Amino acid sequence: MLELVDLHKRYGDVVALDGATFRVGPGQLIGFLGPNGAGKTTAMRAVFSLVQPDAGTVRWRGQSITRDVLLRFGYMPEQRGLYPKMRILEQLTYFGRLHGMSKSAATQAGTRWLAELGLGERLDSELEDLSHGNQQRVQLATALLHDPELLVLDEPFSGLDPIGVEAMSEILRSKADSGAAVVFSSHQLDLVEDICEDVVIINEGRIVLDGAVRELRARSNRRYLDVEVTGDDIPWDQVIPTARVLLEDGRRTRLEVDRGVDLGAVVSGLSGRTDIDHFSFEPPSLSEVFLEAVGA
Amino acid sequence: MTALSIIRLVAWRDFRERARSKAFIISTGFTLVLVVAVAIIPMFFTDDEPPVYQIGVLEPAPGLQDQLDVALADQATAELQSYATQLDGEAALRDDTIAALVTPDEIVLGPSADARLRTVLPLTLGSMDLLERARAEGLTDTQVAEILAAAQFPTRDLEPEDESETENRLFAFVGTVLLFISLITYGQWITIGVIEEKSSRVVEVVLGTVRPRHLLAGKMLGIGSLGLIQLTLIGLAGLAALAATGDVAVPAAAGMTVVSVVLWFVLGFGFYSAAFAAAGSLVSRQEDAQNVVFPISMLLIVAYFIATTGLAGDNPALRIASLVPPTAPTTMPLRMVAGDAAVWEIALSVTLMVTATWLLVRGAARVYAGGLLRNGRRVRVREALRTAQS
Repeated sequence: MLELVDLHKRYGDVVALDGATFRVGPGQLIGFLGPNGAGKTTAMRAVFSLVQPDAGTVRWRGQSITRDVLLRFGYMPEQRGLYPKMRILEQLTYFGRLHGMSKSAATQAGTRWLAELGLGERLDSELEDLSHGNQQRVQLATALLHDPELLVLDEPFSGLDPIGVEAMSEILRSKADSGAAVVFSSHQLDLVEDICEDVVIINEGRIVLDGAVRELRARSNRRYLDVEVTGDDIPWDQVIPTARVLLEDGRRTRLEVDRGVDLGAVVSGLSGRTDIDHFSFEPPSLSEVFLEAVGA
Repeated sequence: MTALSIIRLVAWRDFRERARSKAFIISTGFTLVLVVAVAIIPMFFTDDEPPVYQIGVLEPAPGLQDQLDVALADQATAELQSYATQLDGEAALRDDTIAALVTPDEIVLGPSADARLRTVLPLTLGSMDLLERARAEGLTDTQVAEILAAAQFPTRDLEPEDESETENRLFAFVGTVLLFISLITYGQWITIGVIEEKSSRVVEVVLGTVRPRHLLAGKMLGIGSLGLIQLTLIGLAGLAALAATGDVAVPAAAGMTVVSVVLWFVLGFGFYSAAFAAAGSLVSRQEDAQNVVFPISMLLIVAYFIATTGLAGDNPALRIASLVPPTAPTTMPLRMVAGDAAVWEIALSVTLMVTATWLLVRGAARVYAGGLLRNGRRVRVREALRTAQS
C-alpha cells in the first residue's frame, strides 16, 4: 500500500501540492488524473524522493521510503530518457543491477522483456538506432525489469499508436492482477475509463475526487438525457424546466438534468407530442465527471 | 545495495561506455602516435657521436696522443696525422682535413677547431713542455707532480648546488603539469558526462534509485580513472619511445617524492573533478559547457602559474598558495619535495584540502540534485541548492 499523506510543495510562488492525500493498494490499477500543472508529476516524483515535499509524508506499507524500498519500485518518468548510445540489453542490465539484481538475473530478465516487447532481435542495438515507439518499449522494460511491487508511470500512453496503447494497457492490467500496486497519469480519459476501476483526480495540488469510476459517476448530481424523436421541435423548457440543452442536432437532443428528475413525467410529457425513437438516461462519463471536478 | 557497490556500478558504466566510444578510441590512438613521433623524430636530426679531432704534427710527438686522450676523456677523441712540411700541413688545414697543426713553435688552428680543442690543445702541449723543462732542470717526476698539485687552486660555489633538490623540484613540477593537463582535459569529460545524462533525461530514472552523491562519485571515479589510464598509456608510450632512442634521463626520484606528488595529484583531481561535475549539473545543453567550466579553468590556470614560480625556489606567494585548497595541489608538492615546507604547513594544507573536497562533494551533490531535474535555462547555484534534496 502506497500512501501519500497531506503533501505540500511550493516552488517560489507556485503551489504544486496543497495537501494531496491518496492511496494505492496492492492489485489496484489507478488512473491519476488532473489538468496540466495540477501537481501530478510533483506527486509522482515525491514518491521517489526526487522532490522533497515541504510538508507531509509518503509511506510504503506504513514505513517511510528508504533507498531499499525504492529498489522495489518501478518508475517511468514523463520525460522519457535512457542512454542514447548504450546497447539496449546492457542498458536494461545496468538498471536491473541498480535495483539490486545480480548481473545474470538482470540480463535474463532484460532479454525476456525485450523479447516480449518484440525487440528480441535488437538486443545489441544502440538505443538511438531504434524508432521512437521502440525506445518507448525499452523505457517500459526499464520500469518493469525488476518485477516491482509498485509501478508509477507518468503519461505512459502519450505518443503510442493504438497497438502500443493496447499492449501497454494489457501489461498494466496484468501487473495489477499479479498483485502490484500500479498508478499512472493520463489525459486520455476514455482510455482510463476502459482499463481502470479506480481514479484519483487532482486539481491545484489537492485531491478533488478519489474512488471507483462507477461510483464517482453515480455520485454526480447530473444526469444526461439523450432523446431522439420524430416530429416537431420539442419545447424543452416546458417539458423539463430545469434542463440545460447541450446539443441539438436535427431530431437528436442531449440534455443535462438533475439526478432526481421525474423520468415518468418527462416520458409522458413527450409522448403526448411526438414519437420517441430513442431515450437514454445516463450518469456523466468520466470525462464529464473530471470536467465537473476541476471546475472547467 | 551498499553505497560502494552502487558507486562501482555507476563508475563502471561510465568507464566502459566512454572507453568504447569512437571519440575516445580515435583521440587516444592519435595522441599515442603523436607522442611517439615527437619522441622519435629528433633522433633523425641530432648527431650525438663524440667529435674526432684530426690534428696534424710535423715531427713525431711521443706522448701527445696519450695526453690528449686523458685531457679529452670521453668527450672526444683525437687522431694524429704526420706531415712532412709546414706547407703540407697548412694546406691540410685549409681544406679542413685537420682541425689544428702542431709545429715545434706554435699551434695553428684551422676553421673547424672548436672551443674545446682551442682550450685543450694548448693546455696539453703547455704541460708537456713544462714537464720537459722541469726534467731538464733535474727535477724528478714526483717533485714535478707536487709542484703541479700545489698550483691547483681550490674552487667552490658560493651556494653549493644540491642536484637532487633541483631534480626533485623538477619531478614535482612534472606532476603539477600532468595534474593541470589531465584536469583541463578530463575535468571537461566529467562535465560533459553529467550534461549528457541531464540532456538525455535519463537522470530522472537513475535518481529514482541512486542518491545524487553516489551518482556524482561514480561519474567522477569512472570518467576520472579512464582519463588517468589514457594519460598513463600516453606517458608510458612517450617514455618507451625515448628509451628506444637512447635519450632518456628519468630522475631517480626518492620514494617520498613520488608519494607526495601522487598524493597531491589524487587530492587535486578529487577536488577539481567534483567542481567540474557540479558545473555540468547547472546546464542542460552541451553548448553551455564552456561557460560553466570557465571559472574553474581560470582557477586552475592561476594555480598552475603560481606553481611555475616555484621552480626557481620558495617565495611568499607560493607559501600562501600552498596552504589554501584550490592552489595547494599544484604548489605544495613543489615545496614538500624541496624540503621548504614545515610539517605544520603540510598538515594544515592536507587537512584544509580534504575538508574542502568533502564539502565540495557534498555541496556539488546538492547542486547536482537540484540542477538535474531542471531543464532548459541555466540554473543558478543558489537556486539549485534551494530546490535540492539533502
